[in-house]
Amino acid sequence: MRAALLTSSASITTLAVALGVAAWWIASAWIALPLFPSPAQIVEAGIALLRNGVLVKDVAVSLRRIAIGFSIGCAIGIPLGLAMGLFRPVRYFFEPYVQFFRFVPPIAWLIPAIMWFGIGETSKILIIVYMTVFLVLLNTMAGVASVRHNQIRAALCFGANRAQLFSWVILPGTMSYIVAGARIAMGNSFAAVVGAELIAAEAGLGYLIVDSGTWMAMGDMFAAMLTLGLLGIGADRLFVAITSRALAPYLEASPRGR
Amino acid sequence: MADDASAAKAGSGDAGRIVFDAVEFRFHEGAVPIIRDLSFEVDGGEFFVLLGPSGCGKSTVLNLIAGFETPTQGTIRASGHPVEHAGPDRMVIFQESDSLYAWLSVLDNVAFPLRVVGVPSGERRARALAALKLVGLQGHEGKYPGELSGGMKQRTQLARALVLDSPILLMDEPFAALDAQTRAILQDELVALTMRVRRTVVFITHDIGEAILLGDRVAVMRAGPASSIKEMLAITLPRPRKRSSVEFGELYERINQSISEEVRRSLRQEDGLIA
Repeated sequence: MRAALLTSSASITTLAVALGVAAWWIASAWIALPLFPSPAQIVEAGIALLRNGVLVKDVAVSLRRIAIGFSIGCAIGIPLGLAMGLFRPVRYFFEPYVQFFRFVPPIAWLIPAIMWFGIGETSKILIIVYMTVFLVLLNTMAGVASVRHNQIRAALCFGANRAQLFSWVILPGTMSYIVAGARIAMGNSFAAVVGAELIAAEAGLGYLIVDSGTWMAMGDMFAAMLTLGLLGIGADRLFVAITSRALAPYLEASPRGR
Repeated sequence: MADDASAAKAGSGDAGRIVFDAVEFRFHEGAVPIIRDLSFEVDGGEFFVLLGPSGCGKSTVLNLIAGFETPTQGTIRASGHPVEHAGPDRMVIFQESDSLYAWLSVLDNVAFPLRVVGVPSGERRARALAALKLVGLQGHEGKYPGELSGGMKQRTQLARALVLDSPILLMDEPFAALDAQTRAILQDELVALTMRVRRTVVFITHDIGEAILLGDRVAVMRAGPASSIKEMLAITLPRPRKRSSVEFGELYERINQSISEEVRRSLRQEDGLIA
């Protein structure tokens, strides 16, 4: 009974989180400086930000940027990844760009994006689009390559035409890779949006962090970071819940599940 | 099961007949041919076994009949028509069960060829269930390939290959990856099945016992490269055949010697190349 409690994943997770909070608490009490707020002060600051509406507004702004950027990124990355996986000329054409730009991080584009598109939404959303496209595209391409040769040959035996082969064999066979790529990209979107909001923003969680720093409001700053982390976890859980329900047979068909 | 491909089967005497005429195959220009000057015929409804050591080009022969590969010389005809590409008159059962669609249930896997051909969905279900019954998988139609044993996966492949009533079944070492007991059961069932629903079967194996057990005729292939058929044996033992019978043993010994000769000859050739 006691062994089961100690080894169950939920109890270990709870313990780990409690230890982390406790360690922070002790450290903040030990150091006792306004620059190192205690968990209670952070939560307090968070509640205050919730009450006065700042947090809700900043969360809404950041989530909107993520949602739009991520959606556009998927809308470009998935079809392009499929095309590159399916057609060699397309692959050879885009390969040098993909290989080059995947080493140029989204943050590097922040300044040029602001200079070209201004300080409005466009530049911030573009950063997230850019980040999403590469992750989703590379995963989708790998997914097409992972479709079993014999699955294609079998379909050819049955007399499948190109459209049937694509929509009934290649796309379903690639689905688990597409979903995996999208999931990673969505997680990274939370990192990218903060980067995009660090400069020349007037709202968003990244802006809240910078702004709190300017005013030395450390409680607000960490409340924003805490919110970011919790939102990320929530979004990831939601993503998994939706995809695992809607696409179950395709995800269980992943090579690991086979 | 309603007839698509078998309508043609009943109509002409060529249904299910396979003819190789001086076929050569190389992977690319200038490469050593895998197969050279290969000529043979398989009668409609015959159980034809291609037997030979690994690397002798057995699978290449099967891929040529299936239309996955095109001969570099010579012609191949199936049911009277020249083979130009893969088609629903020739069904392949692969050694690896990864040809099943992991995201579809057993029923939907078996119904897949019917969907491709355009059979209405209500009829698809009935015909797929009938095919599953033929291979003894009734009651498993709701499962997914990932939930099946190796033997059940191969049964699913077989059902999927039977569902269109194609006159020709091409089986590429379908039981090689199974454990001995499952293999023996499936071999017996395949014999019973092909006696009931008469199809041309081209069966590839390197297992001599399996060849004698299943085949109406066994073609022993030469060791590659530039392989062709070394000898053709008609197996006249009455069915069901017993591995323990004296005739079975004699035949086994004879074929074993023939293949051993081939393996030794190819080893000598390789030695010669090195020296």
